Amino acid sequence: MADSVAEIKKATKLYGFIGLTLFFFTILTVAVATVEALDFGVRGFDHIDAIIGLAIASIKASLVMLIFMHLNHEKKLVYFLFVMSIIAAIFLVWLTGWAFEDPITYGQGDHAGEKSGFYNPENPVEK
Amino acid sequence: MEIPFTVTARKDTGLYNSKVGIWLFLASEVMLFGGLFSGYVFLRVYADYPWPERVLPVVPGLINTFILIGSSVTVVFAWAALKLRKWNQFRIFMLITLTCAAVFMVLKGIEYKAKWGHQAVRMDDFVILEGHTHPAGIDADGNVFHVGGHASVEDHSDGPHYIAAKTDDAHGGDHHAEHGPAVKDFRTNVVVFDANELVINLETYHEGVIGGILEQSEKANSANWTLVQPYVGRETAREDEQIILSAGAKLSLENLAKAREVYLAAKANDSKVRTKQLSDAWAKVKDIPGNKERPNHELVQDENFKINEDFDQFLVSPTSTVTFQTDEPITFVLKPREVRESAESALLADGSSLNGQLNTEASAIEMAADAIDFTFVAQRAEEKGVDPLAAVEKTWIIQNNPQVAAIWKAHTEKIAKLEEELLEKYGTDKQGNPKRVPTEKERYRITWQELVNYGEGNEEKGVFSGFAGPDHTKDYAKHFPEVLVPREEVNLETKFTPRWNTYYAIYFLITGLHGLHVIGGAIVLGYFLFFGKKMYLNNPEHLANRVEVGGLFWHFVDLVWIFLFPVLYLM
Amino acid sequence: MSAETHAEHAHGHDDHHEPGFVQKYIFSVDHKTIGIQYGIVSLLFLLIGFFLMMVMRWSIAYPDQPLPGWLSMFFSDDWKAKWLQDGKVTGATYNMFGAMHGTIMVFLGVVPLGFAAFGNYVTPLQIGAPDMAFPKLNMMSFWLYFVGGAIMLASFFLPTGAAQSGWTNYSPLAGLQQAEYPNQWMTGQTWWLLAMVFLITSSLLGSVNFITTIINLRAKGLTWMRMPFFVWAMLVTAFLLLLAFPPLEAAALMQLSDRVFDSSFFMPSGLYSKTLGALEVSGGGSPLLYQHLFWFLGHPEVYVLLLPAVACVAEIIPCNTRKPLWGYRPMVWSVLVLGFLSFIVWAHHMYMTGMGPMISTFFQTTTVLISIPSVILLTSLIISLWGGSIRFSVPMLWATAFIPMFGIGGLTGLPLAFNLVGLHLHDTYYVIGHFHYVVAPGILFGLFAGVYHWYPKVTGRYMNNFLGHLHFWPSLVFINLLFFPMLVQGMAGFHRRWYNGGAGYLAEAGNTTNVFGNTVLEYMHLNELMSTAAFLLALSQVPFIINVFLAWKAGRKVENDNPWEATTLEWATPTPPGHGNFTFEPAIYRGPYEYSRPDHDEDFLPQWHEPQQPEAAEKESKSAQV
Repeated sequence: MADSVAEIKKATKLYGFIGLTLFFFTILTVAVATVEALDFGVRGFDHIDAIIGLAIASIKASLVMLIFMHLNHEKKLVYFLFVMSIIAAIFLVWLTGWAFEDPITYGQGDHAGEKSGFYNPENPVEK
Repeated sequence: MEIPFTVTARKDTGLYNSKVGIWLFLASEVMLFGGLFSGYVFLRVYADYPWPERVLPVVPGLINTFILIGSSVTVVFAWAALKLRKWNQFRIFMLITLTCAAVFMVLKGIEYKAKWGHQAVRMDDFVILEGHTHPAGIDADGNVFHVGGHASVEDHSDGPHYIAAKTDDAHGGDHHAEHGPAVKDFRTNVVVFDANELVINLETYHEGVIGGILEQSEKANSANWTLVQPYVGRETAREDEQIILSAGAKLSLENLAKAREVYLAAKANDSKVRTKQLSDAWAKVKDIPGNKERPNHELVQDENFKINEDFDQFLVSPTSTVTFQTDEPITFVLKPREVRESAESALLADGSSLNGQLNTEASAIEMAADAIDFTFVAQRAEEKGVDPLAAVEKTWIIQNNPQVAAIWKAHTEKIAKLEEELLEKYGTDKQGNPKRVPTEKERYRITWQELVNYGEGNEEKGVFSGFAGPDHTKDYAKHFPEVLVPREEVNLETKFTPRWNTYYAIYFLITGLHGLHVIGGAIVLGYFLFFGKKMYLNNPEHLANRVEVGGLFWHFVDLVWIFLFPVLYLM
Repeated sequence: MSAETHAEHAHGHDDHHEPGFVQKYIFSVDHKTIGIQYGIVSLLFLLIGFFLMMVMRWSIAYPDQPLPGWLSMFFSDDWKAKWLQDGKVTGATYNMFGAMHGTIMVFLGVVPLGFAAFGNYVTPLQIGAPDMAFPKLNMMSFWLYFVGGAIMLASFFLPTGAAQSGWTNYSPLAGLQQAEYPNQWMTGQTWWLLAMVFLITSSLLGSVNFITTIINLRAKGLTWMRMPFFVWAMLVTAFLLLLAFPPLEAAALMQLSDRVFDSSFFMPSGLYSKTLGALEVSGGGSPLLYQHLFWFLGHPEVYVLLLPAVACVAEIIPCNTRKPLWGYRPMVWSVLVLGFLSFIVWAHHMYMTGMGPMISTFFQTTTVLISIPSVILLTSLIISLWGGSIRFSVPMLWATAFIPMFGIGGLTGLPLAFNLVGLHLHDTYYVIGHFHYVVAPGILFGLFAGVYHWYPKVTGRYMNNFLGHLHFWPSLVFINLLFFPMLVQGMAGFHRRWYNGGAGYLAEAGNTTNVFGNTVLEYMHLNELMSTAAFLLALSQVPFIINVFLAWKAGRKVENDNPWEATTLEWATPTPPGHGNFTFEPAIYRGPYEYSRPDHDEDFLPQWHEPQQPEAAEKESKSAQV
C-alpha cells in the first residue's frame, strides 16, 4: 500500500487519470448502444451489443477494483475473500442457468417442428 | 480492555480489523447483487412477453454514471489527503463526494416520479397503451364527468368535454358552469359505482375499507346509510337477546365495532359449546369397553359416536352480516384494484359488498396516449403462426378508434420506407435477404415522438427531450391520440410501477436497493466529515483507516452502478 | 477512548467504571453476555416451536377430537373461535403452525443457539481474544435477531394469522396466501418476510464479526492448525452464512415486492386462484427462480445448523475420553471441503421441479460427494472413542448419543440424494423423518451436550447430575419413538402436509387410482404412538428447564477454573470470565487436544502452559509447522 508521501502523491495523479478513463469508457458504451454506425450485428439490440456493453462495464469495474480499491497491491487474504465470493456467485448463476436450460421435456415442443419442449395440452405428444 | 488491531495491521494477515470486516461485508454484497442480477438474467431470458429494451431515458442514467464515478475519484482523493494529513483538502473532497450522492438521489427521484405518474394499460388483446389519464370529478349532483381532451394544455382546441354519468341531456356540456367548480379529485382510471345497499361481514370487515366508503358517502352529501334490519344478538345463550343496533341506525365504525364485539363473543360461545359437545361424545365412545384400542378413524364412524344435541340450546348462532341502505344511490369512485365489480355489485377487499349499478361509461379509462405498442400482439401472433400485421389490424383499438387506425396506417408507411432505406444502404446478403431490417420495436411500437410527427407536430429533438418522458403540458401533446378504453377490455392497468412487468419490478428493486446503499454510504462518509475532527486530532491514522473502509464501500456502490447502467438503460 | 476525552469528564471516572444494569445485561457489548442472551432467547424459541409441533401432532393423531385442555389453555376464546373448528385444528391453522414451526426452529432456535450463542461465548475465549472484533456490531446482531423474532411471533396475532406457506415460503403459493386482505403490510406472510430480512441482516453482521475475530484476533502462537476444531467449524459456518444468505435476502425482497407492490417476480402468467379468480398481476415471473434462490441458502443452512453441534461434540469427546481427537487434520480439511461442496448441492431439494437428467445427475453427484467429508467427520468422532477411558459425564452422554443419531439422519439422507428415489419419497414423512433425525436427536443433542459442558464456565456451578440423567434417557427413548416411525410411514406414502394424518386420503382408499390407500391404512396406527412420544418428549424437557434455573443459584460450585481438566484456552479464564476475559496475556504453545501425553505427568496438557524443557518447545514448533 502506498504509505509514503511521495507514493501517495504519485497515486493521486493515477486516480485522476483513471477517473478520466472511466468517463471515456462511459461515453463509449453509450455511443456503441445509440449511434447507428457503431451498431454491430443486426439493427437494434442483440447479443453482440450485450457482449460489448458488458465487456466495457467489466473493464471499468476492473479499473475501479484495481486502482481505487487497491486490489493491484493487496494482502493475500483480501484476494481470497473476494475470489471466494465471486466463485459462489458464479455457481449461483451457472447452476441455476443450467437447471433452467435443462428441463424434462415431452418429446415435442410448443411450436411446429420443434423437437422438445414443455408439455402443452394444445399440442399433445403423438404416440 | 482494548481490542487489538483496530488501527495497526496484524503482522501475519497484514490487515487491520475493519478492513477484513469490510471485505467480508463486500463479499456478502457481491452475493446479494449476484442474486439480484441472476434474477434479472433469468427473468429476462425466460420472459414470455416482449422485454422492454432500451426504454429508459439514457441521459439521466448517463449523468448519474458520471456523478458516481466522479464521487469515487473524490473519495480516494479525500483518503489520500488524510494520509498526507491535509484536513482542509479532505473536507473539500468529502463535501464534493456527498454533494454527488445528493445529486444522484435527486436525479433518481425525478426518474422515479415520472414513472409513477405515467399510466399503462394492457388490453385483453395485448395491445399496450401508455399515456396520461385525464382528471375527472363528481359534481354536486353526484354526476361523474371526465375532463377530456387536452385538459392540461393551455390552448385546447375542442375544449373540455364531459361524459355525464347519468346520461341526462338537460345537463349536457354545461355541467361545470351550472354547478360551480366541481371536485376534480381523481384521474379517469376508476370504477364508478352507484350504490344504495351495503352488506358488511362483521367478522372480516376492515376499518380502512369501511372508513373509505364512509368518507366518500359524507362527501356525496346525500342521504346517509341506515341499517335495514335491527341487529339483535347476545353473547351467551343464558342472556336475553338485546337489540345491539336498532333499525335505522347509522353506519359508523363505532356501531360496527359494537356489533362485531357481540358477534365475536357469541361465536366464541358457540365454539366453546361445540367443543364441549364433541369432547363429551369422544369421552362416551371411548368409555365403551374395547373401544380404547380401536383407531380414531374407525371410532368416528362408530354408531355409538353421537353428538349430544341437548347442548344445542346453548348455541347462539349469531348473524354474521349487517345490511345498510340509502334512499338515494351514492356514487362511489373506487380504485380498480380494490374492488371486484360486476354489473350490479361491487365486492370490496374486505368482503363487504356494495349493491347497485355499475357506471360502465364513467368507469372507462380515458387517456391521451403517448405510446401505442403492438409488440406483444405481434409476438403472440407469431407464436400461433398468424400474420402479425393481420392480428394488429384486428385489435379492438384499431377497430374502434379511427384516430389510432390512421396513426397505424401512417406508421406502416413509415416502416415500409425505412425498410427500403435500409435495403439501399446495407444491401442484401448471399441469400438475397436484406442485411438490416427494422427491429420488432420499430415495427410495432409507436413512440411519442412518432405520434407527434404523424400528427404533423414538431417533435422535440435534443439530448434532454427524453429526460422524464413526454411532457403532457407541452404544445406537442395535442397530437397524442385520445383513447377511451372500456373497463371490460382492460387486462391490466397500472402506473409504471413494479406492478407493470418484471422489467420494471427488477429495475425498481435493484436501483432502489442501490439507492439505499448510496444513502447509507453517504451517511457514513458524512459522519467522518462532520464528526471526524476529534479523531483526526487524536489519531489521524485511525480516521484514515475508517475513511479507507468507507471508501471501499463507496467504490463498491459505484461498481454496482457501472453494471446497472448498461444493463438497465442500454440493453 | 483516550485519556484526554476522559479527563474532560467532571466526575473523573477512570477507564474501568462499572456499567449500569441496562448496559451490563441488556445493551451489552460483551460477547459473553450477548452469547447468554442469544442462548436464553433461542431456548425460548425452541420451546415455542416445540409447542406448535405438539398441536400439530395432536391434529395428526386425533384429527376428529378437540384439542385437550393442556394444549388449548394457551389460546384465548376468541382465538379458538377463529382458528379452531369445534375445538379441532383446521387445515389453515395446521398450515400456519407448520410454517411457523419450521421457521422458528431453524431460523430462531437452532441457528442462534448453535452458531450465535455457543459461537459468541466460546470462540473468543478459545482463541484468546478479549472480545469480538466489533463489539457494537455484535450487539446490533443480537438486537436485529430479537426484533426479527418479535415480528415473527407477533404475526400470530394479526387478523390474518401468521404465515401459512411452509417454512420454505414457495411462490406463487406464498404470494397468493392472504392476498385477499385489504392491507398487505399487515398480513402474516408479509411480516414473515420482514422478519426474515431482519434475521438475515443479523446473521450477516454476525458472520462478518466471527470471521474477522477468528482471522485477526487469535492469540500469540495460535496458528491455524493449533485452533480447536470448534473454532474451525465456526469459521466455516460463518462463511456459509456470509455467502449463502444474501441470495435469500434478495429473494425475500423480491417476494416482499410481489406482496406489497404487486410485482410479478415469482408470479407466472395466467395465474388463477379459486378464491381470487384470474389474478390482476402482470405475470411473466418465475416461481422456479425463487426456489433456486431459496435453496442456495437452504442447503448451506443445513450445515449452518449441523457444524456448531459437531463442533461441541468434537470438544467434549476428547475431553471425556482423555485422548486426543482422532484425525484432527482430516477433520479440518473435511469441514472445509464440506463448506465448499454445500454450495453446489442445493437443487437436490428440487428434483420434482422438472429438472432434466443432466442437471439432476450433476446435483446427485455432488450430493453423494458431500457425504464423504460428513462420513470422515463422524468416523473420526467414533474412532476418538476407541481405547479411551471414557468419563460418562452428562455432557458426554449427549455427545455419545449424538453420533448414532446423526448417523441415522445422515444415512437416511443418502437415498434422497438420488433423483429417482427422491421423486418417490419427495414430500413424504420419510423426508421429515430424515431431517428431523439430523436436527433433533442429532444437532440438538450435540447442543445439549454443549450446554452441560460449558455451563460450569458460564456460571461457576455444575448442573445437577441426576436431573441431567432424567433429561437424557427419556429424551433418547421418546425422540426415537417419535422419528423412526416417520421413516416407515414415509415409505408407505404418507404425505408430509396432511393435517389429519391421512384420514382424508383414507376416505378415498376405495378409488383404484389411489395407489397408497392400503399402505396408508396399514401404518396409520403409528400416528398415535408418535404423538404420544412427542408429548412425553416434551415432558422430558422439564428436568432440563428446572436444572438450568436451579443450578444457576444452587448448583455445586466448581473447584477450579478448569473443572473438566480440558486443554483449550477457554478454561484458562477466571470463572465466570470477567470483562476482557483473560487475566494474563494468553499465548499458545501446542495443539488443542494434548491429552494423556506419555511425556507429561498429568493426563492433559493445556495449550497455554509454557513448556518447561527447551527440547519440548522445539518439538512443538516443529509439529506446528507441518
